[in-house]
Amino acid sequence: MSSRNMSSDEHALHATYMNEALAMASHALSTSETPVGCILVHPLHSILARGLNATNRTRNGTMHAEFIAISSLLTSSLPGSLKTQTWKARADMLRECTLYVTVEPCIMCASLLRQFGIRRVFYGASNEKFGGTGGVLDVHRGNGKMLSALGTSSGRDEVSEGRDGEEEKEREEGDYEVSGGWGREEAIVLLRRFYVQENGRAPEPRKKGERVLRLDVAPLGEGVSS
Amino acid sequence: MSTLSTGPEHDASPIIPIPGCLIPLKTTLETREEVKTLRVHVTAVRPQVASGTLGLIRTLLPKDGGFDLQHLRRFAKPETLPASVVEEYTSLSSSRAEGGERVIFLILAATSLIPSSALAESLEAHLESKVPLVEISVPLLAPTSAAQAVAWSNEYWPCVYKKSNPFGPHPSLVARAQEEVEGGSGRWMGVAWEAARQAADEGVGEGVGVCVVERKAGGEGRCVAVAGDLRWKGWGGRDQGGSGNVTAHAAMRAIGMITNSLSQAIPSSTPTIFQTSQHLPLESSPLIFPPDPDGYLCHDLEIYSTHEPCVMCSMAIVHSRFGRVVFEQRMRATGGICADGEGGLGHGMWWRKELNWTMLGWEFVRDGDPETKRLIDVDEHLNA
Repeated sequence: MSSRNMSSDEHALHATYMNEALAMASHALSTSETPVGCILVHPLHSILARGLNATNRTRNGTMHAEFIAISSLLTSSLPGSLKTQTWKARADMLRECTLYVTVEPCIMCASLLRQFGIRRVFYGASNEKFGGTGGVLDVHRGNGKMLSALGTSSGRDEVSEGRDGEEEKEREEGDYEVSGGWGREEAIVLLRRFYVQENGRAPEPRKKGERVLRLDVAPLGEGVSS
Repeated sequence: MSTLSTGPEHDASPIIPIPGCLIPLKTTLETREEVKTLRVHVTAVRPQVASGTLGLIRTLLPKDGGFDLQHLRRFAKPETLPASVVEEYTSLSSSRAEGGERVIFLILAATSLIPSSALAESLEAHLESKVPLVEISVPLLAPTSAAQAVAWSNEYWPCVYKKSNPFGPHPSLVARAQEEVEGGSGRWMGVAWEAARQAADEGVGEGVGVCVVERKAGGEGRCVAVAGDLRWKGWGGRDQGGSGNVTAHAAMRAIGMITNSLSQAIPSSTPTIFQTSQHLPLESSPLIFPPDPDGYLCHDLEIYSTHEPCVMCSMAIVHSRFGRVVFEQRMRATGGICADGEGGLGHGMWWRKELNWTMLGWEFVRDGDPETKRLIDVDEHLNA
């Protein structure tokens, strides 16, 4: 899935949806949460659910935006005929849904999305510490299984877009498409705004008083500070 | 609390510890087969000038230019070296015709630090004789076992095993921790299996369970949470097909139970799919102590799981900063913890430096016939 082959209309549509995800991330920042936001978009029903990180509020390190969005999809009131659907029927809609998320899903969330059967994922900043769709593992392709001959996970050098030309492994049940770099600069600046604040809940909080917020973001390939 | 009764036979039966032992897990780095090597210059000198030569190297290239060579013997007698190294040296030095004079070999420096011509020149000025240099490969990192040290000594250059492990936790740390946890591990595995059985019996989940244990500095552990799998609850049962509620895997539930009881946690005001309240009878057992309300995530707690956690749960365990993970049944197709094993995913998530949190990990191996020891069967492709 490469943005290079996209029409400008299609490109603009994805950018618009990513702005909705970024709005969720901004909201997270204003409530002292790590600024990561996401939305789930269905081709017929448009935005079905939104999520933002809730790890600080819940004190639970697994409450990432993707979990919140999927929980919302399964439990919130949905329009029209969708209203009465069961968890199972609502979860089945994920097979047609695209997730727009401001930061590459971590390994945990990449596996959550795989198990629930998401159709595809657009993300902003890549996540070199925990990323599950290219950053550290490739959970979206064959569950990230190591290619034993190489001792590395498949294709981890390719992070963002342009996977089309790559040698394709046979598609496995649960595999999903991924495209990175959408709204990347905005996503990174939001994270930086958060990290100049103190995280008083971590043991032995580090002094961040002298940290300066940088607003310039290096182009892709020159190091991402997500 | 559930209104479902477990039946008198369950209430009456105390948890029976499972006899077994713990096998330390391997890290991803330990399971890589290839040996990383470093090219180095070596030569041989008369024993009388050996330490002087090394002194010169120390001046020329302080701290070996940043290469850690502590796992290699600096000096080696010819008879302790692979024949090829001695032969190559002899072919270069034969012109000297020294008639069987005793020499000792030594590692001079990594070839990337200094070209052989410059190195030879410096040494020759000091030793006042010709210094033939040989380039060889030596292991870059320390061996992780005595057996590996012997094998590498035969193949490359004499190596020393110092009971250190650059590819995983320090062996003495693992051994001490194992002493602490091994005695009680059968009991906690018994609790986890009982939770698994209750989940499967009630039909609300797969036969997977976990038990979380808190241990104060070297003391007896105590159970602070028990959770069974609840993926079919609210889903309409397994017959509906699909993944079930992926967020209701046993490990995810246990993490939620612990963090719910932290003093500053704010519960969600709207309905969620997260199954973090106690549901199965065992989950509300009086045997469970309340976790420390001032804790941070699941920092340094121990998690005992009937099955190897799936990739999602493995990363959740890392995110939650558990200190130790123990499981019994490997899940080759789906497990995220193991690094080794034929056909496994190979993620080795219990100890990967890039994930910024590592823990100690063991496989629980039950005593007795492996064919008959399984309490509950789950599909081999299940995400536990």
